[in-house]
Amino acid sequence: MNHASSNSLVIAEAAKCIGCKACELACFAVHNRDNGVGTAVGTVTMPVLPRLYVIRTDSFTMPVQCRQCENAPCAGACPVQAIRQQDGVIAIDAEACIGCKACALACPFGAISLYKAYSGGAELPQPLLQERRDSKLQRKTRITAYKCDLCRNTEIPGGSAAGGDAGGRGASAAAAQDRNPYPACVAVCPEKALQLVEVGTGSSRSLNREGVIF
Amino acid sequence: MENKILTVCPYCGSGCQLYLLVENGQVVGAEPADGRTNEGNLCLKGHYGWDFLNDPQLLTSRLRKPMIRKEGVLQEVSWEEAIGFTAEKLTAIKEKYGPDAIMGTGSARGPGNEANYVMQKFMRAAIGTNNIDHCARVCHGPSVAGLTYSLGDGAMSNSIPEIEDTDLLLIFGYNAAVTHPIVARRIVKAKQKGATLIVADPRKTESARIADTWLPLKGGTNMALVNAFGHVLVTEELYDKDYVSNFVQGFDEYKANVEKYTPEYAESITGVRAADIRKVMRQYAKSDKAMILYGMGVCQFAQAVDVVKGLASLALLTGHFGRESVGIGPVRGQNNVQGSCDMGALPNVFPGYQSVEDAKIRKKFEKAWGTTLPDKTGYRLTEVPHLILKENKIKAYYIFGEDPVQSDPNAAELREALDQLELVIVQDIFMNKTALHADVILPATSWGEHDGVYSSADRGFQRIRKAIDPPGKVKPDWQIISEVSTAMGYPMAYKNSEEIWDEMRKLCPSFAGASYSKMEALGGVQWPCPSEDHPGTPYLYEGNRFTTPSGKGQLFACEWRAPLEQPDADYPLTLSTVREVGHYSVRTMTGNCRALSQLSDEPGNIQISLEDAAEHGIADGQLVQVYSRRGQIMARAQVSGRIKKGATYMTYHFWIGACNELTVDYLDPVSKTPEFKYCAIRLEAISDQAQAEASIRKQYAELRKQMLVGAVPE
Repeated sequence: MNHASSNSLVIAEAAKCIGCKACELACFAVHNRDNGVGTAVGTVTMPVLPRLYVIRTDSFTMPVQCRQCENAPCAGACPVQAIRQQDGVIAIDAEACIGCKACALACPFGAISLYKAYSGGAELPQPLLQERRDSKLQRKTRITAYKCDLCRNTEIPGGSAAGGDAGGRGASAAAAQDRNPYPACVAVCPEKALQLVEVGTGSSRSLNREGVIF
Repeated sequence: MENKILTVCPYCGSGCQLYLLVENGQVVGAEPADGRTNEGNLCLKGHYGWDFLNDPQLLTSRLRKPMIRKEGVLQEVSWEEAIGFTAEKLTAIKEKYGPDAIMGTGSARGPGNEANYVMQKFMRAAIGTNNIDHCARVCHGPSVAGLTYSLGDGAMSNSIPEIEDTDLLLIFGYNAAVTHPIVARRIVKAKQKGATLIVADPRKTESARIADTWLPLKGGTNMALVNAFGHVLVTEELYDKDYVSNFVQGFDEYKANVEKYTPEYAESITGVRAADIRKVMRQYAKSDKAMILYGMGVCQFAQAVDVVKGLASLALLTGHFGRESVGIGPVRGQNNVQGSCDMGALPNVFPGYQSVEDAKIRKKFEKAWGTTLPDKTGYRLTEVPHLILKENKIKAYYIFGEDPVQSDPNAAELREALDQLELVIVQDIFMNKTALHADVILPATSWGEHDGVYSSADRGFQRIRKAIDPPGKVKPDWQIISEVSTAMGYPMAYKNSEEIWDEMRKLCPSFAGASYSKMEALGGVQWPCPSEDHPGTPYLYEGNRFTTPSGKGQLFACEWRAPLEQPDADYPLTLSTVREVGHYSVRTMTGNCRALSQLSDEPGNIQISLEDAAEHGIADGQLVQVYSRRGQIMARAQVSGRIKKGATYMTYHFWIGACNELTVDYLDPVSKTPEFKYCAIRLEAISDQAQAEASIRKQYAELRKQMLVGAVPE
């Protein structure tokens, strides 16, 4: 197998997660810039639609997200070929998606959700179907599949945050530089429970007792 | 042009430093700064919790102009009229009934230390009463009382950064993941570094989930467990004999008191296995560095002060004081609840924890403030409803930066009490449930709009800074109080917050060296800091010198008392109030942050065990009716295997699902802190969910309409 072409992925360590959902908000923020959300999540008028999900069961707590499977079952299940291997991630083409839910059913991790589509902060109607809302016929909102895209095609916040006048150990400047190449959820997590794993970068990796990758 | 202003997060007591990003006079974002406690990390409230400054009017609206109730309706008036009216009314009440008929609060939230200093000075010097208290009474009041008795200082003996380097953490009734995510980070790091983690909590919290030993005690049995801990330390001779004979007093009484609390006896009360009680105490005693952290699960019981003293006794017995990464930490909930206590917004102490009953200290303050000062301890916040309704003693209530109708127990009784008063003054940034009962509303600047100092949970003074101009005609809290005071004939005038701070420092030996310039240079100063050349104190009791009158630690144990309202046939379940990570306190701030309110909104959740849910036919996510002897509300069921049968937990931030309609106002006899963590309730499933959802939406809309008094039309 040629490692060099493997997809990267974000994974979480249950041993560190405290279930605070900062990752969900950060994910929502960077993916909805054109919906008036941006870093600020300032004037958001839409529900929070994250692409990773903090799961709490009786015995563990951790965010779950797409593994960017090499032989992605979601892509195999998609009847309109809206899911493709693209620049090191498995990408969903929202324009092409028909909202059939096949990918969500096929995903073994439950990492795909179907949400309403938004544009400019408002629900995006689709051209064909209508439904009765508030006792009048209105165009039905488009619904498409969403999942983690490793923040490709998004501008990561905090990239400009380097420097500052914090002094001290310079941790924030370092953190800001750290934030630059990383997905938003990884950058924001106060517990450092999430990391971007780049498979096949040549170094052999092993797991310690807590599941931390060296 | 983007500006970056360094300040301190306004939510919890972790004291995280952050930059506010300002564009064209508006806050557009927040970035973590390299603070002592947060080291470049923030939780979701720090990242997204500033949006309320933009006043989106989601839950309530920003107060912009002073208001007076005329013919039953709040009407906007000029500052001159509002100050004049307030001063005149207060003066008349003082003359007619005496100064003790007036009660005032401090504010543990946005205003900062300077405003609290001015408020307590106003109550003591201008009004002439010690009737000032604040919400520490309903949270860490027992810590202040208990730790002052045992050790001398009612604050964390250790620092937040030290947590990660301890060998053993005993976490008691404290859910850091929800209340202080940035302190939880240190707990996670301690675990990663190999520390043993012991968690005593009835719920399987996130800390319990990663703990080496989880002690799932029954709610309301804290004292029995802590006594059994002491019993093991004494009978197995695990305690440090040299340490106890040199630095500690009261061993013989302590030994006699814990004698009957064998682990087996404690097991019969608490449900915690006797073998686990022995195991964790052996580990605790044998660890070189061991630290206790505790929270509301200790303090919000009618037996709270006793448990605080009992926990402190465990650390005293084993000599876990006077070094790094040991000791005991009551992790203060609110961003400045440590500060409002520091500043003397309490009925029994001047700023710097100096007793109002001590003639020498009183003389010092009388000289500085140029007036005679009252010498008896004032009323406590939680006694107020009773003092109004039953004893007819309080006639005026000056409520500053608090929302007692939402945050205090037995809301119905409190509303009735407020309506019986001759004068209710509310000074706040947002319209809230308490303000609906106000005769005068004085609108103040918010965090982000003024300068000042906050005290973090670990005694750290840090500067907050003004980032944007305030809206409307609002004024800083200390300025409003000064103007009322001046109108009442006790002139107060300050140019800025630093002038107030410097006046305070001169009067408080333990804060004397913590100047603005030193905070600027070091990023923050931890008290005690007695002089200009002192660097501050990360951990207390160096050399095992305690600050009690005798200089020694005081051991304490007493009989366990069951909570007062026990479940019965009519009300078979117990209710405890808890928090939610994305919201804060009474939610006037986070409820007005668009992202945070989208993440979790009304009516709030009630966590129910799998067994109880099945028995009532309640599914996860359904709305349910909750009844207690005091009220009824609707809440959303959260069915979880982490909850024990018979117990329920409700998040207390919500306005429709306001669990304080249900809670009981039984108080701890010493600290007068209410028993939020235990009362009896009944659950009912609702068959018509659609109608229930509609009714919640309708209630919410009505509530919001009430809150839009004086709001700018959208």
